[in-house]
Amino acid sequence: MDARQHRLDEVRRERSEVENHLIDELSAGKISRREFVRRGTVLGLSLPALSFIASACGGDDDDGAATGATETTGGAQAGGTLRTALISPAGALDPLTVGDEGGLATLGQSGEYLAWSDDELMLQPRIAESWEPNEDGSVWTFAIRQGVTFHDGTPLTAEDVVATMEFHLGNESNALSALGGVLSAGNTRLVDETTVEFTLDAPNGNFPYLVSSDNYNLIILPKTYRGDWEKTFIGTGPWKLETYTPEEGVTYVKNPDYWDTSRMPLADKNEVKYYEDEQARVIALQGGEVDVVSNFSVAGGGALLDDPSFTIIELRASQHRKVHMRTDMEPFTDKRVRQAMALAVDRQALVDGLFEGRADLGNDSPFAPVFPSTDPSVPQREQDLDQARQLLEAAGMGDGFNVKLESWQGFEIPDLAVLLQNAWEEIGVTVELQITDDGAYYGDFTYGSSRWLDSPFGITDWGHRGVPNVFLSSALGSKGPWNAPHFKNPTFDQLLSDYVAAFDLDAQRAAAKQIQELLLEETPAIFPYFYFHLAATKNVEGVEPTGMGHFDLSQAGFTT
Amino acid sequence: MSTVDEIAPIVVHDSARASRRERLRLVLRSRTFLVGAVIVGFWVFCALFGPAVVPDDPYADDILNRLQPPSSEHWFGTDRLGRDVFSRVIVGARDILIVATLATVLGTLLGTALGLVTGYFRGLTDEAIMRVVDAFLAIPIVVIGLLALTALGPSRVTVVLVIGIVFTPIIARTVRAAVLSERELEYVEAARLRNEHAPYVLFGEILPNVLGPVLVEFTVRLGYAIFAIATLSFLGFGIQPPAPDWGLQIFEHYGLLGAGDWWPTLFPALAIATLVVGVNLIADGLTQAFER
Amino acid sequence: MGRFILRRIALALITLWLLSVIVFVACEVMPGDVARSILGPTAAPETVEALNEELGTDRPVVVRYADWMAGIFQGDLGESHAFRRPVDEMIWPALWNSAKLAFLAFLLVVPLGIVGGVIAALHEGRAADRAISVGGLSAAAIPDFVWAVVTILVFGIWLEILPVTAQAPPGASFLTRVEYLILPALCLVFVLFGYLARMARAGTTEALDSDYTRTAVLKGLPRRTVIRRHVLRNSLLPTIAVVATQTGYLIGGLVAIELIFNYPGIGRLIVRAADQKDFPLLQGTVLVIGVVYLLATLVADLAYAYLNPRIRYGAAM
Repeated sequence: MDARQHRLDEVRRERSEVENHLIDELSAGKISRREFVRRGTVLGLSLPALSFIASACGGDDDDGAATGATETTGGAQAGGTLRTALISPAGALDPLTVGDEGGLATLGQSGEYLAWSDDELMLQPRIAESWEPNEDGSVWTFAIRQGVTFHDGTPLTAEDVVATMEFHLGNESNALSALGGVLSAGNTRLVDETTVEFTLDAPNGNFPYLVSSDNYNLIILPKTYRGDWEKTFIGTGPWKLETYTPEEGVTYVKNPDYWDTSRMPLADKNEVKYYEDEQARVIALQGGEVDVVSNFSVAGGGALLDDPSFTIIELRASQHRKVHMRTDMEPFTDKRVRQAMALAVDRQALVDGLFEGRADLGNDSPFAPVFPSTDPSVPQREQDLDQARQLLEAAGMGDGFNVKLESWQGFEIPDLAVLLQNAWEEIGVTVELQITDDGAYYGDFTYGSSRWLDSPFGITDWGHRGVPNVFLSSALGSKGPWNAPHFKNPTFDQLLSDYVAAFDLDAQRAAAKQIQELLLEETPAIFPYFYFHLAATKNVEGVEPTGMGHFDLSQAGFTT
Repeated sequence: MSTVDEIAPIVVHDSARASRRERLRLVLRSRTFLVGAVIVGFWVFCALFGPAVVPDDPYADDILNRLQPPSSEHWFGTDRLGRDVFSRVIVGARDILIVATLATVLGTLLGTALGLVTGYFRGLTDEAIMRVVDAFLAIPIVVIGLLALTALGPSRVTVVLVIGIVFTPIIARTVRAAVLSERELEYVEAARLRNEHAPYVLFGEILPNVLGPVLVEFTVRLGYAIFAIATLSFLGFGIQPPAPDWGLQIFEHYGLLGAGDWWPTLFPALAIATLVVGVNLIADGLTQAFER
Repeated sequence: MGRFILRRIALALITLWLLSVIVFVACEVMPGDVARSILGPTAAPETVEALNEELGTDRPVVVRYADWMAGIFQGDLGESHAFRRPVDEMIWPALWNSAKLAFLAFLLVVPLGIVGGVIAALHEGRAADRAISVGGLSAAAIPDFVWAVVTILVFGIWLEILPVTAQAPPGASFLTRVEYLILPALCLVFVLFGYLARMARAGTTEALDSDYTRTAVLKGLPRRTVIRRHVLRNSLLPTIAVVATQTGYLIGGLVAIELIFNYPGIGRLIVRAADQKDFPLLQGTVLVIGVVYLLATLVADLAYAYLNPRIRYGAAM
């Protein structure tokens, strides 16, 4: 015990202020071991070091969360061809423009990122070996791994990393949805062959997530890359392109020169098949056409959930629905009205009915329970019809009112809309539904030509992110381009920048607590739930999906 | 000029004119017609009185009782939001009958007018219009529906307009064919000799004599309309939730068949099938009567 | 006959031209900014504007139409906005897939329909007739997507004797590829049988009642020979009609079936194009299916005229 304590002290001395603080939190029991490891990886600490520290401090074990990826019990056999059903990409397979699940999962098979955000929101080093912030988190230095080669044999160096970043930043890539306001063109510096330095626009404690697989466009490309990714699928990943049939799918073979020998693929081939329709994907698994379905919904996958011959992989995630109410437009200008609308909702019933319990309750802020920075002590808002009616009365709307709710026909949104419509009827609010298609709802994605951003009342679907930054700044910040509720609150903006700059978990949580409470008070939007990511397999083990929609098959193999 | 399509719907230019009363008697005696009438009559009753007679509110959700199989409490079981399927199927008749009927009436009115004009006047206008008609016919109704609804946004009104307009050329064709043979007949000559104006000849003389084929066309198209509307709802266009539209119900639930929850899909499908069969039987009965 | 053919072809060409106009105008009416749909939600408004200028989306309709037509005459249907590939590259494989399914469906349903219709006509009013007519009608009254789901459930999942998707894995043998197509073809048989049998029945009845048949029978010709020579030929005529008009449905109208069976046919492509507001792809696909339909009806008309001399010489117009 003494020797270990002594070693621990030595370790502490070598670590920075921030890192020590994290260790303190672990010793004091303020965070669980799992969260410690997760925050530690963000800060760039290696897993072995983290393990050592965690055991030395005797940290808590994990709180009960949903099961992660299937545990490899060692039953997975080598060889064979894995077949996965994936939703068809919605556009060209171009790292600059991919913005949909089919595209991103395809990018992630043969392409590789600086880091991989896994099923538990932990960052695993990939092309980057380690990373470190400066004192205030405004400059991050990444050590680039050596011995990595592209599929065409060219060795990867830090130059390729810089080139990839500049390529995206200079070409209005979809990656800007996460990097906008965080990193600008020209601020990625080549320090030497194996080191890259990022100088951020403002301190950002979650930066490594923003260049990980969460920002799915950022597969590292050779510095000579000029376009036409579809022709070669160039990357450094464990899978190499064999054939690509547009509209139908991709066949990969294992990359024998893959740098990480501990993660060399078990299977010989990886066949990804594209299916437009979720039903077709489910049917394909039932009928034996594929072995894996990387993502399915409770509504569409009933057959899989009820059948024990399928293995269901369930991940806690931050994907959600946001019911926005425009704070600058009648009838929602008075926050009491907005609170009333939120109080009429029976969230548990929604979770049970729409997801069979496979979702976390939302508390009207983007802080999903799955984020470590979420403060769990903020009380959960619950249905209270009496209080809702009182608030409406106080706001002068005691006789109720009529309003139109807009959204589009996808996922469980129409069902959610109907259930909410009935709930609001109980407090005297008559809601008319206008559910069109996504083109009509999203329009041009800019204020003035998008129902999403212009309507007084709407439901928007938000995909999973590893950190809540985008949900907070782009969708609720005063200057955010996607602020559907038109929420302009200076206190919120200030708290937001505090949160973004903090990379000490304590400070993040403190800012989060205040944000969560402010949003409960102001309620610019209702966040009813954060639903889990579901994947299913048959006779296959070792599949590792992520909340983002990626799936890693390098450790997957057949069990029979 | 596609001669082939004229044969497809069997429309008869009858030379021996049975009187109207006799024809009516024939129709009423036809078993086919009667069976069809009973079926359609049942659904019309549901459309008119459905909301008053159903056991449950078709819109009331009960999410914790979702997907219950048929039982004494819920004859057709509950759907995925816990709503009573029986009530939704009965009440759903109203929407589809109204939309399908309006669409077909619209198509018939426009199509008859168009058919009368082009059949009577012939010449260049006739040729030109028929070419446009042909062009429209080249695109499957589903595709036209899809395009139109994408452009105009899904709603009942749009569906009525789209289907009505798509049917216009098809009905116009048939009416035109009927007019072509009528115009050679003596009574038309006689009217012209009397210096009657064209509109009178068209609507006063010819129209009453082509009503038979028009009526048959109407019923045939009604069947297609019901079908088309269900398909458009199934594809996600057309009627919006939470309306108890049959096609929409199938769209919302067909995925659950694999999970063994067959009732929310089967009953609306049977409803569509029986209604279409009923309408077609009526059409058949009428055709037989007009064939004499 | 020659004049008739030329006339038909000329008319078809005019119709084709009108079709192109209609298709183009229909896409014009659709909402959606072209550059924005290519660049996605994160692109800045200035970039969107610049691309719109580059693509020339703000030029007058007539100019753009002329451009498009000019391209078509050179065999260039433009480039898909969403997928950045030439439109024809996307259309031909899809068209070929739809054609394969249509062919298999016809191969199955035409003989079945003719046989069914003839039998029904020969037993007019009796049990066999009722069964075939009502059975066919009921089957056709069930929407194609319902058949798709039911057959997949029964044959693919419960009985496990047929594959549940329609596209065989790459490199599969010819027989395997046919095996994958059987289930969707079966659905189409259910949907089309009723109409076909009804047409064949009507044609047969008409032939049976005709003067020709009566005379032949009176003259002492065995009924069987009469049927073979005269009646069958007449039941063939309506069949041609059905094949022609249903081609329009099978090539481009099979949207629901293609989606459920995950079959990369042209109906599915149209839906994708409409979803993405991908106008070049949409215009190209709709035009192509229109052409296919016009060709089918042209061929059918010519076949019809050949078989039925009355039409050939302009008696019915």
